[in-house]
Amino acid sequence: MKIPRILVIAAAATLSMLSPAAAQKAAPLPVMASFSILADFVRAVGGERVAVDMLVGPDADAHVFTPAPADARRVAAAKLIVVNGLGFEGWLDRLLKSAGSTAPVVVASAGIKARGNAGAAHDHDHDDDDHDHDHDDDHDHDDDHDHGDTDPHAWQSVANARIYVRNIRDALIAADPAGRAAYEANTRNYLRQLDALDRELRETLARIPAERRHVISTHQAFGYFTEAYGIAFKAPVGVSTEQEASARDVAQLIAQIRREKVPAVFLENISDPRLARRIADETGAKIGGTLYSDALTKADGPAPTYLDMMRHNMRTIAAALAN
Amino acid sequence: MVSMVHDLLIAPFADFAFMRRALIGVTALALGACPIGVFLMLRRMSLVGDAMAHAILPGAAIGFLLSGMSLFAMTAGGLVAGIVVAALAGLVARTTQLREDASLATFYLLSLALGVAIVSMKGTNIDLLHVLFGSVLALDDPTLLLIAINATVTLLVLALIYRPLVMECVDPHFVRSVSGAGAPTHLAFLALVVVNLVSGFHALGTLLAVGIMMLPAAIGRFWASDITGIVVVATVAGIVSGYAGLLLSFHAGMPSGPAVILVAGGFYILSLLFGPVGGLVRQIFPGRHLEA
Amino acid sequence: MSGALQFTDLTLGYDRHPAVHHLSGRLAPGALTAVVGPNGAGKSTLFKGIMGFLKPLSGSISRDGFAIRDIAYLPQAAEIDRSFPINVFDMVAMGLWRQAGLFGGISRKARDRVEAALAAVGLTGFEARAIGTLSGGQMQRMLFARLLLQDARIIVLDEPFTAVDAKTSADLFALMQRWHGEGRTVLTSLHDIDFVRANIPETLLLAREPVAWGPSAEVLTPANLLAARNLCEAFDSEAAFCADDAPPPGRQDGGHTGSHPGHDHADAA
Repeated sequence: MKIPRILVIAAAATLSMLSPAAAQKAAPLPVMASFSILADFVRAVGGERVAVDMLVGPDADAHVFTPAPADARRVAAAKLIVVNGLGFEGWLDRLLKSAGSTAPVVVASAGIKARGNAGAAHDHDHDDDDHDHDHDDDHDHDDDHDHGDTDPHAWQSVANARIYVRNIRDALIAADPAGRAAYEANTRNYLRQLDALDRELRETLARIPAERRHVISTHQAFGYFTEAYGIAFKAPVGVSTEQEASARDVAQLIAQIRREKVPAVFLENISDPRLARRIADETGAKIGGTLYSDALTKADGPAPTYLDMMRHNMRTIAAALAN
Repeated sequence: MVSMVHDLLIAPFADFAFMRRALIGVTALALGACPIGVFLMLRRMSLVGDAMAHAILPGAAIGFLLSGMSLFAMTAGGLVAGIVVAALAGLVARTTQLREDASLATFYLLSLALGVAIVSMKGTNIDLLHVLFGSVLALDDPTLLLIAINATVTLLVLALIYRPLVMECVDPHFVRSVSGAGAPTHLAFLALVVVNLVSGFHALGTLLAVGIMMLPAAIGRFWASDITGIVVVATVAGIVSGYAGLLLSFHAGMPSGPAVILVAGGFYILSLLFGPVGGLVRQIFPGRHLEA
Repeated sequence: MSGALQFTDLTLGYDRHPAVHHLSGRLAPGALTAVVGPNGAGKSTLFKGIMGFLKPLSGSISRDGFAIRDIAYLPQAAEIDRSFPINVFDMVAMGLWRQAGLFGGISRKARDRVEAALAAVGLTGFEARAIGTLSGGQMQRMLFARLLLQDARIIVLDEPFTAVDAKTSADLFALMQRWHGEGRTVLTSLHDIDFVRANIPETLLLAREPVAWGPSAEVLTPANLLAARNLCEAFDSEAAFCADDAPPPGRQDGGHTGSHPGHDHADAA
């Protein structure tokens, strides 16, 4: 069929009008992520259209982060702020107030099914326009329970990561509608990578025999991981790195390891590794290596992106539990 | 009955290696820190420990800057900073009219400010002190060795400088007039304070390291009136507090460091009330006096 | 000559105000000398200078053939921490420190010497007493016992009999005479002029500036005493610099009769 010439010309003209508009070399959207994992997601979704900054950098501990005046300045410069929520950023409200920021705050974990620390799940179905409210309303969904009772490390399950990414995409589109196409394309691309990751995780970890599917870590940050992939994590201290262990906790843990024959002990990149080593020595469990839970590593480390981090953890766990 | 006592008092240590190590660690710590604490108390330097705890921060910060999160570097840095502050404070106290307490206050504050500035400029939020200072339940071999060496060195040095130290406390002008050993003795003593504090930090954490130094000393004061007796009572009190504190942490789930100090605090209150030398009850009910 | 203490145009003081002003003279070895003067005359300051606790504002002190640690010193209000849990025996045993050294435990022989010293001052039986329980007189006796053990060539005592009862003073003075008899140099400050005139061979009458120095009978005359009494105690905040400072080389300093050639000073008076 012969396409009418005029239509081709019109299409070409339209396209040529669109491309300058699309390729507007406007300055990238400044986005502030609260910590390194969120920053990674924002970069994955935003690509070149965003300039991502983060408050808690790689290898740093968001639980004990204390904002400095310089941080307030950087927050004030951002047009969109991405936070984890679920009580992860205890210092956030004060920082936002002192920054005087009016930028929208998006809670990346909105819509996930949150876990309590004791294992009970709380429902968190919220409207997606939560993230359009200003920061004062931001934490409404946390008011049902103590922050200390909720496990904030939702990204440990790839299924939740998908929700994070979608929330971020929606927030970016709201802040920068002109980039909708790019954001959606990036998101689709990344979601595909997440799917591959999820499959890999399930296959690799499924190979571990049932009686060996539990480990020790000094940081109880893997609750969602356990829920998703069936490897149980036991730890001597609670969720935050600030609590100090009691002898009873350690003794009960050692007794439990001996009783249940837990095969491996893992170290964290932020908590005191000496306690984990003590427990490993006393129980004969193997020290399996370092797992990364709360932060990415620097670029030259083994976990500079979320995908790298999850893969690294997966390989480390599988190796420790294999024999 | 016996088995109940055994379960309560012995079994935790028999069954768990980490408890045994913790007990050894706390005992070694007490052997070094308690005698030092007695002298600090008698020289009216009871708050020095707390000041020194803050003084070592820039040392730990510089160690971190140079070697990252190396525990060795940060410990060594902390030691150096502590000894430098102690030495400078001692020097100023000796050569100007500023007394010991004022000169130490000035230097530890300077040191603390420097440490905070260095940490902030480096831009890290890692809680340096939190990482440097550990828990008595997590004593690994190097740390245990460090504590044991510290205690040994402390006891040896203390035995060496015991007489000049006592003399310097009681009658500093006499010491000054008969010998030049006063100043080196004082500096050696301050160095021992720093060493024991750093050692205590690894075992008990920041402020609690000072607690194991000062509370047993105060306890000793209420039970003996000669210095040897006070040192012995203080050391025994420190060791027993460590033992009982660990048991408390084991049976009641209290964090280990605070448990030890709270037990020591309990002994202190008891001593304050019922101690034979100047205890409150003794003061209210002095008992019959002697003939001559 | 070995063992002498020589003052050369010595000025000692605080914050540039002189408390001892232009003192020259020689304390011969084996002398028993009293330093006498009104309050504020500079006696304690002189002793601190001898012990090296104060650096001279000008002039010098020379110790001929001995060091500061060869001098035994009894300060005025001893800065001893009475609340320290130490007993009399250990306190007195400090006197043996130079012989025993840092590591020295108290040997059998040393123990006997401590006991002998305690006996000499009448404190037998006080060995186990905490120093905080002693009376003023007992404290002073204890410090004398320590001085005994120091076995020093030169002994300097700053007002040893203040706040001490008559019997104790008499006993302790007997010790000082014993030291003098043993050939040691004894320098002491005292307030009781009649006592000094009767018992002590040599006197330095000090009223910031030396008024007279020599045999006690010659020094403690009414005229000299009157001159000394006219000393003004307070430091003058308006004082000009002393015109007599740092004498040019070649000037002969006065001998040990020590009468200070009067000359006008616009200072510190």
